[in-house]
Amino acid sequence: MNSNIVLAVVVSAIAFGTPLVLAGLGELLAERSGVLNLGVEGMMLMGAVCAFYVSQELHWSSALVLFLAVVASMVAGAAMALIHAFLTITIRVNQIVSGLAITIFAGIIGLSSYLGEVWNIGGVAGLHQFNQVNLLGLKNLPILGPLIFNQDVFVYASWVLVVAVLYYLYRTRPGLYLRAVGENPAAADAMGINVTAYRYTHTLIGGALAGLGGAYFTLALAPIWTDGLTAGVGWIAIALVIFAFWRPDLLVLGAYLFGIFSALGPTLQTHHITALPSEFYSALPFLMTVIALAAASTSWANRRIGTPASLGIPYTREEA
Amino acid sequence: MIGPLRVERRLDTPKWLKVVVPLASLVLAAIIVGILLLATGHNPLSTYHQMYSAAITADGALSSTLVYATPLLFTGLCAAFAFRMRTWNIGGEGQLYMGAVGASATGLVLGDWPRPLVIIAMVIGGALAGMLWAEIPALLRAYLRTNEILTSLMLNYVAGFFMYYLIYDSDSYWRDLTTPGASVFPTGKTLGSHANWPGITIGSFTLPLGFVIGAALAVGLLLLIRSTRYGFEMRVMGDSPQAANYSGIRTKRKILSVMAISGGVAGVAGSSQIGDFGHVLDPRGLQQAQYGYTGIVVAALALYNPIAVVLVSLFIGGLTNAGFALEGPSFPTGLVGTIEGIILFTVLGGEILARYRISWQRRHVVAVGTGVAS
Amino acid sequence: MLDAGDGRAALAAPAVLASDLPAGAVGRVPKALAVQAIEMTKRFPGVVANDHVSFDAAEGEVHALLGENGAGKTTLCNLLMGLYRPDDGRLIIGGKPVRFHSPRDAQGSGIFMVHQHLRLVESMTVAENVVLGSSSPRQLRFSPRAVERTVAEAAERFQMSVDPRARIWQLSLGERQRVEILKALCRGARILILDEPTTVLTPQEADQLFSSVRDMAAAGRTVIFISHKLPEVLAVADRVTILRNGHSVTTLPTAGTDADDLAGLMVGREVSLEAVAKVTHEAGPAVLELAGVWARGDLGTEALKDITLEVRAGEILGIAGVSGNGQRELAEVITGLRPTTRGMIKIGGARLPTGDPRGAIDLGIAYVPEDRMGTGIAPNLSIAENLMLKSYRAKTMRSGPVLSSRKAIANAREMIERFDVRAPGPRTLIRQLSGGNIQKVLLARELSSQPRVLVAASPTRGLDVGATQYVRRVLRDTATSGVAVVMISEDLDEVFELSDRIAVFYNGRVVGTLKASEADRQQIGLMMAGAA
Repeated sequence: MNSNIVLAVVVSAIAFGTPLVLAGLGELLAERSGVLNLGVEGMMLMGAVCAFYVSQELHWSSALVLFLAVVASMVAGAAMALIHAFLTITIRVNQIVSGLAITIFAGIIGLSSYLGEVWNIGGVAGLHQFNQVNLLGLKNLPILGPLIFNQDVFVYASWVLVVAVLYYLYRTRPGLYLRAVGENPAAADAMGINVTAYRYTHTLIGGALAGLGGAYFTLALAPIWTDGLTAGVGWIAIALVIFAFWRPDLLVLGAYLFGIFSALGPTLQTHHITALPSEFYSALPFLMTVIALAAASTSWANRRIGTPASLGIPYTREEA
Repeated sequence: MIGPLRVERRLDTPKWLKVVVPLASLVLAAIIVGILLLATGHNPLSTYHQMYSAAITADGALSSTLVYATPLLFTGLCAAFAFRMRTWNIGGEGQLYMGAVGASATGLVLGDWPRPLVIIAMVIGGALAGMLWAEIPALLRAYLRTNEILTSLMLNYVAGFFMYYLIYDSDSYWRDLTTPGASVFPTGKTLGSHANWPGITIGSFTLPLGFVIGAALAVGLLLLIRSTRYGFEMRVMGDSPQAANYSGIRTKRKILSVMAISGGVAGVAGSSQIGDFGHVLDPRGLQQAQYGYTGIVVAALALYNPIAVVLVSLFIGGLTNAGFALEGPSFPTGLVGTIEGIILFTVLGGEILARYRISWQRRHVVAVGTGVAS
Repeated sequence: MLDAGDGRAALAAPAVLASDLPAGAVGRVPKALAVQAIEMTKRFPGVVANDHVSFDAAEGEVHALLGENGAGKTTLCNLLMGLYRPDDGRLIIGGKPVRFHSPRDAQGSGIFMVHQHLRLVESMTVAENVVLGSSSPRQLRFSPRAVERTVAEAAERFQMSVDPRARIWQLSLGERQRVEILKALCRGARILILDEPTTVLTPQEADQLFSSVRDMAAAGRTVIFISHKLPEVLAVADRVTILRNGHSVTTLPTAGTDADDLAGLMVGREVSLEAVAKVTHEAGPAVLELAGVWARGDLGTEALKDITLEVRAGEILGIAGVSGNGQRELAEVITGLRPTTRGMIKIGGARLPTGDPRGAIDLGIAYVPEDRMGTGIAPNLSIAENLMLKSYRAKTMRSGPVLSSRKAIANAREMIERFDVRAPGPRTLIRQLSGGNIQKVLLARELSSQPRVLVAASPTRGLDVGATQYVRRVLRDTATSGVAVVMISEDLDEVFELSDRIAVFYNGRVVGTLKASEADRQQIGLMMAGAA
């Protein structure tokens, strides 16, 4: 196969995968604390619209504006997550319903679209954009050049975050405590760990990262705002976390894999190399996840690589 | 306990509270939305008035509302029925897609049969497809204890891709390959006239057949839950799995059958989409509509009561209809979701709060209160 | 005076508190007191769990708390570890008076408790579990290797052999317990409280535990352990405090006493006169037969070992024993809620399919479980619905698939009347009823199915006097009407009052079966405590 095709597919995969990695890492942290968040799509859209608004309205230096826009996106995402956290952790509403409520509230026919209208920022090209950087001046290296040294800040940030989250989970004390909270909140509580605080914090971080993932669309990809421009990426992020079995390293690989599969289809078709339909490739990761989940339910596997045992279940301390 | 507040479950919720709390929540939602409207330069009262008329009183409004309400009625029932027994079927979306696929196939194959038979066949075809799709997470849950939330969610995506493939990426039976534009803009085959479900005209509005079927299903499911042996077993299982086991209920079989019914109902949603409305398999439209997920929210608002689902689906349907009908500079579409969301937050929050009693408590180490020492 | 090996102190005074003795009394300097509980009192609704209980333990002492169920041992320990606050009394730790508001406070004073239900995260390693929540300085970094090394050193130092890299799910129960103990030691435990530690251990593991306990004591720590097992107490403890009905009976050095004495103190020596006053009637043929039954418990260990029993029509077989010796599993095995691994159960000659609740119900087994609210009822359903919980399948209750609500309500009214259930009506949610009335509903339901066997577990636990008497009367009448009744009770008085025959459970086995009229408390007490 032509190396140009491969390159094109990989480049496309990275573009597809970056918001997935960002939002996915956020969801991973939230789910590790035991909170299922189905509102990711809504949070991403809120991040996207708020970031775009800031970048359109502020007339300062590009760097500053973009920075503030990024901050705005994270605040917006975290604000949505706060609603979800409050409802599910404190009031103990069903996590599925609360997450869906956020998606409806903030999603394509919700607040993000409303704000887009009210702020009148739809359909206009963005004034600021994160461009590709020339990292270490190596962008012209064959193959690796465009892939690794010529990406925008979001992509690099996503890579850094993967390493950071990996380190956090497995090499820091708070990360250890987080894993305990997700696995056995009663045991963690008995050891003096504040389960509620961990769940709140990580749900909010999840929202902030989802917002950041949304900002990628309006600040880097094609700076423009339209209703629902994330086009379901938030939902794929949720699936991705499960596919990666709550591990950041598998998450980033999975994100690019999803990206490859979604780019593969059209590419294969234009070059008439179709064997299986592209939808098959797109559906494959989800099917594999179902099989993996079933296999992981056997107690042998469950002990080694299981789901965070308390996912979806509100925690109550035994009290009179 | 939340800080100094002591939260304890009420022993019983007084009847008046059950009515007042949802109403109070709606009022609160109206106030919050009103504030939002004011903040963005709109007049709340006139907006509400416009919405009311666009949803109900204007010409053709009620019929449009019913168009949006019908699929929500089915997917709401799907979720309500399953959630009552704590089997969290969030695969209604995918089960709807498969139902649409099944119903359109049935309708196409049996195109020339007498109309009533075609309709019945489409309902069955859709229901069977939805049922089978729901049985995958059901079997995994019953026999392997796999988390059905995760598996049913994954299968939604798979169903979506499958539906997509049928129309946009293959020369499948469902695809219309006859018209000249078809190869450039893929569409599904339009079903014959016998597959068009009749509406029932009452005065100024038309009741889609699907809505009638759905309402009948709602009554049927309510009777099933309240009055039959089957429903009794469901309710015991939903309340206490240990008590269910203790009383000899076959829990695995229950999971399988409840999920099957739930998925079947979502499948009929798909049939209705084909038969009542589009008359053609339209993957994009179905995916954008997200009826399955919205149905879960409808079910939650209805407190998982089938008859309430009928009412809530009308309410949300009306809201959605108003949103799209009024779309314009003074009424951004985004208001629909925003209002729905705020209503959800207030009602859900309120309902839980009504179940608990809050009182002040001095900081006090509480004992695990079985009252028995050893 | 306090060391185990020495001290032939006579059993003169009822209680020998270390503080009673002047320094140098028997030529030995008394060790410093680690813990002093003075007149500790704790009340719960309807019961005084600890009634002015006093005891003390010195540094380096192994002190046992002995008593049967309801004696107050666990409550006392919960007071010591800060989970409860005493209504009255004082606590002095290391010579300083203390008030604990939470377990953290107690931990700050060096008191740690190892519970029966271990609080470990199964998927994590030993090292990770030990380090979880430990009060080391705000350290952000966590290096698995470093932590494993630290834990390995600690294990070495405290002589608790565990592999820091092993994951908890890989460990046996004895090893898991060691991890819990290590956890406490690493956090600075000076006083360690063990709650019935040998319940799930094999004999070898129990020996290892005792050797660790002795090591800890030798290193100057205080170990308090709750037990009902006399052989253990005599083997490991320096002194033992016996509790009964919320009072401390006495404290003795173990060196100068034996099983008989302790058993007598534990259960009292009075002969239960009611046993003789029962109507002795000829029991019918054997209805329930267990032959060589084995079963596994929740934690994977053998909870029932080679059980052979029979119960006749018209008789009440009382199952005596401290809870946790297999009684619950016995009830579950008979009612089909737990599968057997070996052996056979027969009802009226027909073999009971294992692990099949429906099969058991069909063969005429009724069950009033100990866990009323959790297993026995569906809390959010009405009284009428709960009364139907087993009978809803019968043809009389329905026409085809439809349940007759009318019949259910009528049926319920009748049963409410007959069993004198105090409730607003059949449609009332059952969880609104008092404990006693819930129990009546349960009995009503189970008895109305005309069973051949009734298994009742802790039938009067938590009930007031009136309800208790009512329930006992009902059990008696049920037996008289020809049903074979298995009554599991932690209350020895109740066992004596109601049973025709008594079977004593210890460590998953039946250690003795005798006619109630021929049994005495002391003997039963010895059997219950494993010292017969």
